[in-house]
Amino acid sequence: MIKNFIKTALRSLQKNKAYSSLNIFGPAIGIAIASLIFLWVEDEVNYDANNVKKDRLYIVRENQKYDTYVFTHSSTPGPLGPEIKDQLPGIANICRTSEGETSLLFARGDRSFFASGKYAESSIFSLFTLPFVQGNASSAFSQLHSIVITEKTAEKFFGTETNLIGKTIRVDNKQDYVVSGVLKDLPTNSSLQFEWLMPFKIYFDQNSYLKQWGANSLSTYVELKPGINPETVNKQLYSYVQKHEPKAISHLFLFSMNDWRLYDSFKDGKKTGGGRIEYVNLFTIIAWIILFIACINFMNLATARSEKRAREVGVRKVLGAGKGSLITQFIGEAIFMSLIAAVIAVLIVLIALPSFNTMVQKQLVIGFANPYHLLILLALTLFCGAIAGSYPSLYLSSFNPVSVLKGLKLKDSGAAIVRKGLVVLQFTASIVLIISTIIVYQQIQHVKSRQLGINKDNVVGMDVQGTMGENFNPIKQDLLNTGDVENVALADHGIIYGGNNGDGMTWPGKTPGSKVLVSNRAVTPEFMATLGLKILEGRNLTVADTVRSAHTVITQSLEKLMGNGSAIGKVLRYEGDTSTYTVVGVVNDYVYGNMYGKPDPVMFFSLAPKYAQVMYMRLNNQKGVEQALAGIQKVMKKDNPAYPFDYVFLDDQFNQMFQSEMLVSKLSRVFASLAIIISCMGLFGLAAYTAERRTKEIGIRKVLGASVAGVAGLLSKDFLILVIISSAIAFPVAYWKMSLWLKTYQYHIDIQWWVFIAAGLTAIIIALVTISFQAVKAALANPVKSLRSE
Amino acid sequence: MIKITDLEKFYRTEEVETIALNKLSIEVKKGEFVAIMGPSGCGKSTLLNILGMLDDPDEGSYVFNGVEVAHFTERKRADLRKHNIGFVFQSFNLIDELTVFENVELPLIYTGVPSAERVKRVEEVLDKMQIMHRRNHYPQQLSGGQQQRVAISRAVVNKPKLILADEPTGNLDSSNGNEVMELLTDLNEQGTTIIMVTHSEHDARYSHRIIRLLDGQTVVENIMI
Repeated sequence: MIKNFIKTALRSLQKNKAYSSLNIFGPAIGIAIASLIFLWVEDEVNYDANNVKKDRLYIVRENQKYDTYVFTHSSTPGPLGPEIKDQLPGIANICRTSEGETSLLFARGDRSFFASGKYAESSIFSLFTLPFVQGNASSAFSQLHSIVITEKTAEKFFGTETNLIGKTIRVDNKQDYVVSGVLKDLPTNSSLQFEWLMPFKIYFDQNSYLKQWGANSLSTYVELKPGINPETVNKQLYSYVQKHEPKAISHLFLFSMNDWRLYDSFKDGKKTGGGRIEYVNLFTIIAWIILFIACINFMNLATARSEKRAREVGVRKVLGAGKGSLITQFIGEAIFMSLIAAVIAVLIVLIALPSFNTMVQKQLVIGFANPYHLLILLALTLFCGAIAGSYPSLYLSSFNPVSVLKGLKLKDSGAAIVRKGLVVLQFTASIVLIISTIIVYQQIQHVKSRQLGINKDNVVGMDVQGTMGENFNPIKQDLLNTGDVENVALADHGIIYGGNNGDGMTWPGKTPGSKVLVSNRAVTPEFMATLGLKILEGRNLTVADTVRSAHTVITQSLEKLMGNGSAIGKVLRYEGDTSTYTVVGVVNDYVYGNMYGKPDPVMFFSLAPKYAQVMYMRLNNQKGVEQALAGIQKVMKKDNPAYPFDYVFLDDQFNQMFQSEMLVSKLSRVFASLAIIISCMGLFGLAAYTAERRTKEIGIRKVLGASVAGVAGLLSKDFLILVIISSAIAFPVAYWKMSLWLKTYQYHIDIQWWVFIAAGLTAIIIALVTISFQAVKAALANPVKSLRSE
Repeated sequence: MIKITDLEKFYRTEEVETIALNKLSIEVKKGEFVAIMGPSGCGKSTLLNILGMLDDPDEGSYVFNGVEVAHFTERKRADLRKHNIGFVFQSFNLIDELTVFENVELPLIYTGVPSAERVKRVEEVLDKMQIMHRRNHYPQQLSGGQQQRVAISRAVVNKPKLILADEPTGNLDSSNGNEVMELLTDLNEQGTTIIMVTHSEHDARYSHRIIRLLDGQTVVENIMI
């Protein structure tokens, strides 16, 4: 029986090529998109899954309570780790590492490279799953100047050399380090990323402030003993810092590795349950919507052309087929079609994966060998087939054999209403996606064009390497002499950086007990002009302020907090400290850290160049960028020859802050386009069948004098009404959904009415173009022919 | 074999009610060849559909092989139908996507005959109907007469007790029509009961008995000699 069904299905596909391609390519695109999204989702939900102790691993986080909000971060005091390991019985092990990634210069022979990594305690090899390819965990950090690298770094440093253990590499042109281990490359979906690891002791000894309980500058990872409830440990950690720093406002807690990637969103010191998971959920929903839109095409075309199948249904029923066997046959046909679509979908995925990977910045692979992938593909295919075949099978199998064999015109009204409903559903989803795409794009543009308070264009940043700090003045002079650079400045932190802040600053008149988070930045006097900050009152910092260091320039928001009138001459100091800082100048507020939020106040101090970390150069906008960079490179080669020229544009760094939003924006554009394309494929097929069904009517109308335009309009009208109804449903849905989304941003656009009109019109125009092809074709046909054929 | 008593069938639309069969009573014995005649709209096809269990009557009794089937469920009717009745239509009603062989095989599939047995029986029938050489052709590649032979092959392949033919020669020229009538006569002589609806007096002459209907009632019965 199944063989018979497959035969019928295959021959029917061959016979109706146009119809078959509509029916196969729609679901193929749907299955392909769903597969791509699910590959991405798989990568996201399996973040850090390479760690066998994942369920027992935590990072220590801090909540700091301020007047207006709770600041949650992962910076912890240096002495914390060893002490809690000794004192809290639930903790099996801890590991301290430097924060973020440290970029260092590595030289081997005459070749040198920058590479980023971490200083870590040797327990890192036990907490995290880091398999050694060469060397082993126990001896990795037995010497102080040892380095463990990944396979990729090994290739970068040593090329094709093998047996790397014991080989040396010079770091920062100062000290040779011995390679003590080579690790297997980390999976791309691991939160822990580094090119190298070095003993933590080096870092800890270099920075004496790390030994204080008041300095939060390290990451502390914790492994709990099996069966220990993290809440028990959290209770012990809550006031742990206060044992050593009674006035501290920090409260510690454990943040599970299971939540690092997807649930890293905190409000008022508590997990919101949101984070990247929202994107995972959003895209999963979109995948199902697109798949459903594709299935709708199949349902609609199948019921629209049911007249063609009616006789077959009649004959089969007369010959003894029951309703059940017919339902099985038609669902089977849909699944068969879906299987063909799945094969094409795999081809589409193979072709599209490289571009998709670029877009989502991942290295996803199709993974045929992975049984889960095949299982999910099969499930998608069966789902698609079952949904697509469900309604048509019920509809077709319900035909009365007597009527269909007599050749009576079928009463199509019930199916026609369902069809119209499904078209409305398709276009509603498409229009919601179009509106969302426009609003996401507007929001990103809105933030990107936000008045930042600085001028980010034409600014190049460089890490301060070697003796750049000490030789700042001659380097600056050489750079200015090229004519390619307008100004040069040094700073201790990048301008976009959001950290290095504290709540300990106080001033006369400050409300007692009030906690205000203030960021500290040390900069050279050129900083304001180079970055485009405006001195609103008083004066800029001078080199002389470096010596006294008692003068500060503050941002406008701090001036407001310090009371009415000018802040010039007012004095600030740290609580419990007698040193004072006199305000000599006020600059405008500028956005840093969180691009969507209101910026915290900043205090600027004068920086001694030797302590600088970052150098900023404002390029001469009269010169070309290429020329300016070549000029800078020449100067750096001459003045800092031991280090390769490595730079970054400030506006690129700025764009990096919007990665997630840009991803949503790009993907929603792709999804919205595909949704409307698939919907139109369905509409195209439906229009063709409607035209065919109404051939006789069109013929009679033409004989009676109807014009081509009149007939084409008649055929298009019904479909256009459906798209208009879709718009009416889509508008409030999109408004509600996008208002919720925008509310998650402090700095956001207001939704404008024209977006809805534009989206609705786009859908109408696209639909009209799709239908009019069929409508005009039908209207142009010779009426004599169509009447004779009846 | 068939006994209907006081059979009634109405067709209702929103405005009118049409009586298709009006207290009709007929009996057909096993091995008979009966022709049903009458003008358009007299209820011939309705009667045939009820006899074929494709439709059910509104009132009255229908006893098939001693079993009252008038109010059987669709499933039961389908089951009874596929084992006992073969149909021949005016417009052949072959499935375009299936070959001659596959079309004839279809009823055997629905009655669950094993594959090897199916091949044997289909070949036997095709051979008998002299259409074996066309077994791999599709219906559109055949002449009208050949298509009706395939349709008759399909009707008899399950060895039904009863064949219902609805104007079997209506779409054929006279020579092909005669051939079809010969085939039906042969089948009848081999023991199959045949009930045929026709407009053609010529075809009706092949039967043993003609039942003439008017407005859903029997007006005359002619016994053929």
